Amino acid sequence: MTVLPFLIVAAAAGVASLVVRGRRGWSTSIAAGGLVLMTATAAAIGPAAAIEIGGVVLAGSEWLRLYAVLGSVVGLLLVAIDVSAIHEPDVPGVIVLGLGAAVLALAVPEPAVAVVAATAGGLAGVLVAAPVGAAARAAFVGIRELRALSVAGALAIVAAAWIARPLGDLTDIPAVFGLAYLAFALAVAIRFGAIPFHLWAARVADAAPGVALPLLMAWGPAAFAAVALTWIDGSIAPLVMPLPTERAVIAAIGIVSVVLGYLAAWIQDDLEHVVGYTIAADAGFVMLGLATLGPEVWEPARTWLLVFVVTRSALAAWAVAIAGGFGTRRLPELAGWARRAPVLAAAFVVIAVAAVGWPGQAAWQARASLATLALPGMVAAVLAIAPLAGLAIHGRILLVGLRPPGPAVREGRGDRPGWPAPLPRRPMVGLGTIERGLERASHAAGGLLDVVWVLPAAARLNRMPIASAAVLALAGLAFVVAGGGLGVPEAARAVPIAIQPGPDLEPAPVGSPGPGLDPGPSGP
Amino acid sequence: MNPALVALAALTIGGAVLAVSTRDVRTATVGLLVVLLGSSLIADPWPPPVAILARVTAALLATRFLVIGLRGGVPTGGTRIGWPAEALVAAAAGVVGFGSHGLGAAGLGPAEAQGAGFAVVAVALTPLLTGRDVIRIGLGAFLLLVGAGLIRNGLAAPLSDGEHLVEGLLAIGLGGAVAVIATAARAAGRSDSDDPDGARRRRRPDAHRPTDAERVRKRTPRTGSRP
Repeated sequence: MTVLPFLIVAAAAGVASLVVRGRRGWSTSIAAGGLVLMTATAAAIGPAAAIEIGGVVLAGSEWLRLYAVLGSVVGLLLVAIDVSAIHEPDVPGVIVLGLGAAVLALAVPEPAVAVVAATAGGLAGVLVAAPVGAAARAAFVGIRELRALSVAGALAIVAAAWIARPLGDLTDIPAVFGLAYLAFALAVAIRFGAIPFHLWAARVADAAPGVALPLLMAWGPAAFAAVALTWIDGSIAPLVMPLPTERAVIAAIGIVSVVLGYLAAWIQDDLEHVVGYTIAADAGFVMLGLATLGPEVWEPARTWLLVFVVTRSALAAWAVAIAGGFGTRRLPELAGWARRAPVLAAAFVVIAVAAVGWPGQAAWQARASLATLALPGMVAAVLAIAPLAGLAIHGRILLVGLRPPGPAVREGRGDRPGWPAPLPRRPMVGLGTIERGLERASHAAGGLLDVVWVLPAAARLNRMPIASAAVLALAGLAFVVAGGGLGVPEAARAVPIAIQPGPDLEPAPVGSPGPGLDPGPSGP
Repeated sequence: MNPALVALAALTIGGAVLAVSTRDVRTATVGLLVVLLGSSLIADPWPPPVAILARVTAALLATRFLVIGLRGGVPTGGTRIGWPAEALVAAAAGVVGFGSHGLGAAGLGPAEAQGAGFAVVAVALTPLLTGRDVIRIGLGAFLLLVGAGLIRNGLAAPLSDGEHLVEGLLAIGLGGAVAVIATAARAAGRSDSDDPDGARRRRRPDAHRPTDAERVRKRTPRTGSRP
């Protein structure tokens, strides 16, 4: 099956969910139903299936299929956690639309079209960053997000168009290719909120609903980065030009983002800021992937993209569940959270293990490969072990959770399950044996119906345990993906069936300063 | 040079200048509509009727969203340097874009598209980077992406029907995003883009800040003044 059914379901469910946004229950149900259908249609995407619509090819691939399946499952779990914990307006519909736009961008092999789709998808996030009817700060945050999206989109559109044509008579080849390469990479950095382009992302992390953060800061930008990788692999890498200055700038952004991102996450007291800065730090490794022009970066970069979006989604979901359960996301007020919510504590440990990893684990190897390919020896070694800082970040939060519970935690909801108080038993009033027998039978039948009646009440009473169970499931998924399960390395290794042909340049004569041309795609 | 394309490019640039210059948000919306309609037609060969229809529909829907979001008169500051100066900036950028068609190699699209793209980007940058209210910044962001699309039309091969559809979706998304932000600003009763939590305040120029002597004089009541 092609990717078209997935896109149709995403567009229909997302728009319908936002159209009925005034009725929150309906809106969420439509989005959840859409995500279930999206999971099914994503699983059916054929890696070699392609369809052409109006001159635009929509092509499937193993990696695209895995991205769509994981995105749909993670989106469904995020919606479940949102409904159980806080139930923010518009978020489910925006998740569906944003995911659909990201998959559309990944399905289009032409980067010039894909970046437009990725930019359009990012705009859906403005709806939750500046929700209708919100306060002044919403407009302040929304306009910064829009500005970042438009600048990144414009850079990428012009860069992709600049060299997607015959360039045989180009006057200044290295400068043109270097500028286009740098512009596209900077666009990715802006979309991720990588340091030093993180100010808008910090505001969004502060104001947007926590459950929307994975889409706004990870899933959407990851699709944008995947488009950039495809473009670099098809248009820049085959030219075999060293571009040392441009690569150094991109690698420097990656290093700064990793180091300062982990540092900022370590000192933050707001859980959503911790989530935001860990995403910025992980995005630094994506930037290192963009700083490498060889085909060997293909597999680790795409492995890392999948690992990091799922892992950070799990961390964001955990933060939402904590905020929903205890009414605060400030770490100093969350003393004792792990004692009151042991399931969430277990999920947090699993998330930490998946995020930090260990040598030999797929995520660890992907990060180490990205650092080694982009940086000189010593710097690469330091950066490869930088994620160990995650132990300090997660350990600090866990230590706070093991302290005696504070007032907010004592008054909050724990994740131990409860059951609604049973209805009082009706007294027996029958006189004869037959009469009492019939009465007992009717009481038994009534008791069964009472159970059916009690189920919604039980769900309402157990919101926190349900949210915790969903977070635990998401943490388990993150652990599996980070360990290389579900075919992540194979999908990352697979080459898409259609690749941007790249600029039509004549091979440069040996010894000349112009570019050479390596025929064919450089992906493995 | 194709006179029809030149006229369309001039119309598009005029719409962009109008959108960033006026203080009336409804007039700015009209300017934006002109930009959206014109930008879809600056192509050689012209897009097929279905693609034009899709782009016109997208332009109308995007501006409709804007009208809904801006209903009730959210204030905007307009240009600080006046529309003639904005028009001159756009004209200069348009000439540069037209003259540098292809940016070093042969462009596959019309030079008029690249000229219009440069002009629209030039007038978009000022509100985008220095705008003090969310409406102006939103208009700048909108125009920046439209301008980038125009430059792409001048550099690369003509858009296919599917690409026109994706461009239309982008325009609708932009209109919706600016409308949502305008609605949030209207609900809050303020449209300036400063952080309402007061994390950053603009520092007054040193020339207008009181000296230490002036501060002391201000604190000390004058002899004989009324209590």
